[in-house]
Amino acid sequence: MTEYMDPTDSVATDRKTAPRPASLEGRVITLLDISKAKSDHLLDRIEELLRERVRPKTIVRKKKPTFARPASDPLRQEIVGATDVLIEALAD
Amino acid sequence: MPRADTDTDAIEELYARGVTDGLPVVPPTRERVAQAVAASGRDGDELIALVPPNYGRATVEKIAVNAVMAGCRPEYLSVVLAAIDAVCDEAFDLHGVSATTNSPAPLLILNGPVRERLDVNCGAGVFGSGWRANATIGRAVRLVCVNLGGARPGVVSMSTFAHPGRYSYCIGEHEEASPWESLAVEHGFARTDSTVAVLAADAPITVYDQRSRTASDLLATIAGSMAVIEHHKMTHWGDTLLVLSPEHARIVADDGWSKADVRIFLWERLRRPVSELVPGRDGGDGLPEHVLRKYADPARDATLIPKFRAPDNIKVLVAGGTAGRFSAVVAGWTFSKGSSLVIRRIAS
Amino acid sequence: MHDGVFFEDHGIPTATVISSEFLRAATAQADALGAKAYQTVVVPHPIQPLTREEVRALADKAFDAIVARLTDAR
Repeated sequence: MTEYMDPTDSVATDRKTAPRPASLEGRVITLLDISKAKSDHLLDRIEELLRERVRPKTIVRKKKPTFARPASDPLRQEIVGATDVLIEALAD
Repeated sequence: MPRADTDTDAIEELYARGVTDGLPVVPPTRERVAQAVAASGRDGDELIALVPPNYGRATVEKIAVNAVMAGCRPEYLSVVLAAIDAVCDEAFDLHGVSATTNSPAPLLILNGPVRERLDVNCGAGVFGSGWRANATIGRAVRLVCVNLGGARPGVVSMSTFAHPGRYSYCIGEHEEASPWESLAVEHGFARTDSTVAVLAADAPITVYDQRSRTASDLLATIAGSMAVIEHHKMTHWGDTLLVLSPEHARIVADDGWSKADVRIFLWERLRRPVSELVPGRDGGDGLPEHVLRKYADPARDATLIPKFRAPDNIKVLVAGGTAGRFSAVVAGWTFSKGSSLVIRRIAS
Repeated sequence: MHDGVFFEDHGIPTATVISSEFLRAATAQADALGAKAYQTVVVPHPIQPLTREEVRALADKAFDAIVARLTDAR
């Protein structure tokens, strides 16, 4: 029997999602536009609906410079420090 | 770790594990991998990069496993290491390249003494098959992208079509047949440096011109082929290769033109007025909303918009056979803030 | 997916909206990162040819799912 070496590497660590609040009322909601065309139209309407139906504390709009890369570290840090929840759109 | 009694079983086992490109691979035994690591002169545990989008750890040893599978000789490993370092550079955006619905494959361009040392093809059939260095070095990079980066087609890689360069895409510049300085020298390296440049590249477009005898005539033909990169109304594109055959290069140089002259001529010629670029005229695609918004009346605006963001985005090099009045254009996946050409020295 | 996983890791409930063509890639990516619990909000593909009004209508349809992704009403 010959053993062969493994060309892959697994980076999966056990992750869980963040705990959720009971409602969005009184919360800071960030809308992150990934800068693919049409994302802004979707987020504009989501923003309207949030204001109408949910009564958040604030809605913050952010935009990635390009959809082709993950958000930069500074942008990520800005968001983490300042929001309760996040909606990111739209990967197609 | 796969185990098998014979090499044939190992080949089937490796297919089944999804770690190949669809072609049989050389089973990566400990001895073969150790030989490759030793030839690189580096420590097997040395971390070269985390490979996007899965950020698998590309140590020298892990890269060597993939290089052995690709069929590399041990002496090719230092080229593969430099190429992996290059594609994992932020500027190359391997994350985007591996996930996009568009078609790019990493194209490797070799310069310097490494070409002769490893018998890299720079001449006739440069984009084709038959040279072990070209075939296996290109293939090793792609296996790393898949096995350590996670870029499996239809799974993480969403490319609608891809192209055959995803098996292997590696050329040498034919510096000896070029009237000008090489791609590497233009980017600040010495002629005696061995380098690898990487571009997130489409398949080559062949340009046929058997009759032009002046630089401007020939480059006008070439411009016509470059005008339809992505689509005929695409603008603000980035790094793109123009590969002139030795015969075509001679026509341009004999007319007294430098590479810079070539770039400026093409960049200027490839601008079009806003009015010709609006979506819905001659095709549904066109200038994006955020650009159209800048013009009060786009359908009548004569402002010139460049196909390429700057002349320097047009990278000129010489390769291919000495017989044949053809050139090749290789577009990059290089929209604004997308990928760029990255070049690295190969450690000897 | 990387953004979403990052934000969840840092305690921010995140709803990532994707088109249906991307579901397989998003799931594979999340699995590779170990984020099996991570779920996206899916809208029908394609998006690029739609008008502004048509995209807004998709937002109307996806709104409840987005809110559900971000809250834990008992």
